Amino acid sequence: MKAAIFEYARAESIAQACSLLAEHGADAKLLAGGQSLVPMMAMRLARPAWLINVNEIAELKSSRRDGAVWVTGAGLRQVDVERDGELARAVPLIRQGLYWVGHIQTKNRGTVGGSLVHADPSAELPLVAQALGASFVLRRNGSERTVAAADFFQAPMVTATEPDECLAEVRWPVWQGERVGSAFDELSIRHGDYAIVAACAQVEVDSAGRCVRAVLGIGGAASVPVSAEAIARSLHGTQLDDTTIEAAVESIGQYLDPGSDVHATAEYRVHLARVLAARVLRRARDHAAGMARGTRA
Amino acid sequence: MAEKTSPYGFRYIGAKRRTKEDPRFVTGRGRYAADIQLPGMLHVAIVASPYPSARIRSIESAEALALPGVRYVLAGAELCAAVDALYVGVDAPKVKRYPLADGLVRYAGEWVVAVVAETRAIAEDAVELIEVDYEPLPHLVDPEEAAKPGAVLVHPEHGTNVLYHRKFVWGAVDEAFEKADHRLAFRARWGRSATVPIETFVAVAQWDAGNEILDIWASIQMPKFPDQLARALRLTGNSVRVHFDVDVGGSYGVKRGMKHTLLVSYLAMKLRAPVRFLEDRLENMRGGDMHGPDRIFDMQVAFDHDGIIRAWKIKALDDVGAYAGRSPLQLGKPVSAICGPYRIPAVEYEPTSVMTHKTPQEAVRGFGQSPTNFAMECTIDRVARHLGMDRLELRRKNLIRKEEFPYRIPSGTTYDSGDYHTVLDKALKAADYEGLVRRRDEARRAGRLAGIGVSTCLEPSGGNSSFEPLFNPKNETTTWMDSCLVRVDLNGAVTGVFGTSSSGQGHQTLVSTVVGEVLERDPSGIRVIAADSLNALPSNSPVGSRMAIMLGGAAAGAARKIRDTLLKIGAHNLGLPLSGVTYRDGDVFDTLHPEKRMTWDQLVEVAHRKFHKMPPDIEPGLQAKFVWEVPTGGTLPTEDGQVQMYPCYSFETHVVYVEIDPDTGKPVLQRYVVGHDCGVMINPDIVHGMTYGGVAHGVGAALYEKFAFSEEGQLLSGTFMDYLIPSALEVPEISIVDHCTPSPLTTFGQKGSGEAGYLGGPAAIACAINDALDPIGTAIAETPMSHLALWSLIRAARAKPKMKDAA
Repeated sequence: MKAAIFEYARAESIAQACSLLAEHGADAKLLAGGQSLVPMMAMRLARPAWLINVNEIAELKSSRRDGAVWVTGAGLRQVDVERDGELARAVPLIRQGLYWVGHIQTKNRGTVGGSLVHADPSAELPLVAQALGASFVLRRNGSERTVAAADFFQAPMVTATEPDECLAEVRWPVWQGERVGSAFDELSIRHGDYAIVAACAQVEVDSAGRCVRAVLGIGGAASVPVSAEAIARSLHGTQLDDTTIEAAVESIGQYLDPGSDVHATAEYRVHLARVLAARVLRRARDHAAGMARGTRA
Repeated sequence: MAEKTSPYGFRYIGAKRRTKEDPRFVTGRGRYAADIQLPGMLHVAIVASPYPSARIRSIESAEALALPGVRYVLAGAELCAAVDALYVGVDAPKVKRYPLADGLVRYAGEWVVAVVAETRAIAEDAVELIEVDYEPLPHLVDPEEAAKPGAVLVHPEHGTNVLYHRKFVWGAVDEAFEKADHRLAFRARWGRSATVPIETFVAVAQWDAGNEILDIWASIQMPKFPDQLARALRLTGNSVRVHFDVDVGGSYGVKRGMKHTLLVSYLAMKLRAPVRFLEDRLENMRGGDMHGPDRIFDMQVAFDHDGIIRAWKIKALDDVGAYAGRSPLQLGKPVSAICGPYRIPAVEYEPTSVMTHKTPQEAVRGFGQSPTNFAMECTIDRVARHLGMDRLELRRKNLIRKEEFPYRIPSGTTYDSGDYHTVLDKALKAADYEGLVRRRDEARRAGRLAGIGVSTCLEPSGGNSSFEPLFNPKNETTTWMDSCLVRVDLNGAVTGVFGTSSSGQGHQTLVSTVVGEVLERDPSGIRVIAADSLNALPSNSPVGSRMAIMLGGAAAGAARKIRDTLLKIGAHNLGLPLSGVTYRDGDVFDTLHPEKRMTWDQLVEVAHRKFHKMPPDIEPGLQAKFVWEVPTGGTLPTEDGQVQMYPCYSFETHVVYVEIDPDTGKPVLQRYVVGHDCGVMINPDIVHGMTYGGVAHGVGAALYEKFAFSEEGQLLSGTFMDYLIPSALEVPEISIVDHCTPSPLTTFGQKGSGEAGYLGGPAAIACAINDALDPIGTAIAETPMSHLALWSLIRAARAKPKMKDAA
């Protein structure tokens, strides 16, 4: 488990990282927290010719509210994002998802952007981004573009990021209503493992408890995290009672295309998706009701 | 430092005292085999077979050899001609194993080529440049298929895949089955798991050309290691010097490493340079030959209406993988406790050891006892369920009673001592069993799956290896001694010397405590070191929960000799008969006039400098050795396979409360209590530490860990992504309740406890899970009891029309 030989550079700015990428393109990899990339390199499953360290780039570490979105720099450590109380109030699903990510030790190094660009189909942050419809600001030498989550996640470990692009920031929608609730749940064999299946939901209800807006995401049961938009839409106008939720998630399988492995069969994954989808919707509903009563989850 | 007094009336034994080893471990000052850095040391990486069964057609290594920094490429043909095959524990001389395959590969991951380079990274680069051409051959992964006549043969020369098979019948088994009111039969399966220490295997070899000695530093827990290595290398025993003074970063049975060490030894002698092989995790899990038992049990039990068990039959088929070292003997240890802690007068045991094209099996904590305990405890719970009897009542009826010890079991072993009913009661009380029952019943009323498991299991300890002659008539081993040397230097400091490796058992604490106890000197000032194998007295290493008994006994014996010598010197110089003097705190004085005395320093001075003051026939200097044979050892098995195996029997009972999420199959252990009796504990912290670790290991085996293989013979769980070791978040808080029934056979009443926690844990967890599944009419008798397995059972049970389990 020694990495194959590679060249190493430390970028001091996004611009410098982009020039290095422009120069080395597909032969280069950006090194953020390294919690996935470094083990893959050690097992020689990843063999970049150039490793460009972006850990010291200050501009990748901003975190700010910008109207109806919260912008996080791609280089922020997961632990710092998880502990950011203001962000947790604005986009609670991020903290709720990060609870399940690895362990304290891995979160101390792991970054938000690294996890998103790595795009493991079972990972928590990609799921939250997909469910909320976050967008991704990709920079290359001299230009910048913004890609919606729906277009960003393309296949297992494959995103819309081009070889010469660097993820600069992630823009998370902030739901500004009074009665917004969210929940994240997953089944992993051990805490901190990649989820067998993960689910998250966010709902907004009106003063009568009727659902006015909802999203539902499922991870680990398709090649990318999925947003179950039709199911979420079907909840609009309902009271989100248990029976309605149970009925709505019955058809979750239409979004999924799970595989089988030593820990879970495809059938088990679809079942778990249904169970967890119902759980997160119920919890999000209760959370929203609690917000209305002025309590915080 | 809290230093509480001994509960047993000893001065140091049993008192809560800081261990000798922990300060250096927690401050990062351990010294492991990987810390040995020798000038010019070369590194090894391995080319492993991708096929479970294939013929090697050719090996092309020119490109690898041309890589700068590469020093040598070794293939099986060269190595196998130059060294002898590794030791096989049963009578199967044609099942030959060498470090590298020659001609045939027999499992995916088997070592084919070793590359030696100036760094490990270069060696790995070179591995990628070696081309091996294979001709794939048919393979076997199913042990039942492998045992059938006509099966594909893993070792064609051996003529069968069966390494060992015998049916033992002890007592009137058939008659008991005929006369019993009830009979039950079921199959239990123990999945292939192991122990996976933080430190993988590492071996460093250096040929000392001047002295013609091969020096070895290796991460070992292996009996007869220097002798076996010398024999395989065709060297005399005194040409190999194994340095036992390196710390071992965990073993729990698996750190045997003969093939690793033989490989680096050959390379070091060939290349005249120090050579190291430090397995990486992938090499360790796939080709390190450290998987544990992989067993199918067919259990039958005969019992009466009142719950009295009359007999049982245990058929055990163990898949040892592609080669046999000591692994078939793991079916042998259970003979020593084949009726568990129960009064079962007649037992049939039919062990079969079979080879398949899988990674070979190695010794794992308990040496086959934990799987057997699991199958036996599942049996006990099934009997209770069948009769509608409380599981505790059934156990209490069948457990051997305190007054019946020493108790001889049908397979010829006598259990030394025990008080099983009391330990069970203490554990139940500590767990608030009635409260747990209420909690379980409330949970059930709320629609949750909740269960309580209680296991009552034995830990045979003080290993004497008599499964060797039992399983191999050509092997007449009847001693499995251990030794200690105690020395007092001119300045009066005491040093204990033992002759084996330590992989966390706390030999230094053990020896210093025991020697301190006998000599009445503070153990914190007593130094304890490991001799190298050329300086060592005979030892059989810390396997089989034996060091408290064996090294403890040897250290006490040597210390007593020192004390006797000091008494003689004192009596001689005080002009008194031996009967007139007393030894206390290192001084010797006139019993009637204590002011007439010689101090420790004066006595030591006489022994070292003043021969004119020495009594006749006493050697000058002050040192003593003691070699101790295992208590009750020394006899061969009888014709019908009766044998006294282990001398001492520790007892443990686990009380576990579990809830299973019926929608996901996820089990959560919510309460865990262990009642434990290993006689006198020499250091309670060490015993408790081992027990905590053993429980965690048992949680892993019961719920998470499996080296799974595909039909294609590929290991599916070869990294920690898939081989799931429980973390601190999965292991529940554990309470341990101690009890002490001293062993009459040992120096201080101690028994062994190195395997504690693991031996009763999986059994209790299985009983708890089955108690939780009982209301929905389903059951499991297979480890690991994975989320998927539990969910599948729950779903199938719910799909059935609602009815209570007919059994």
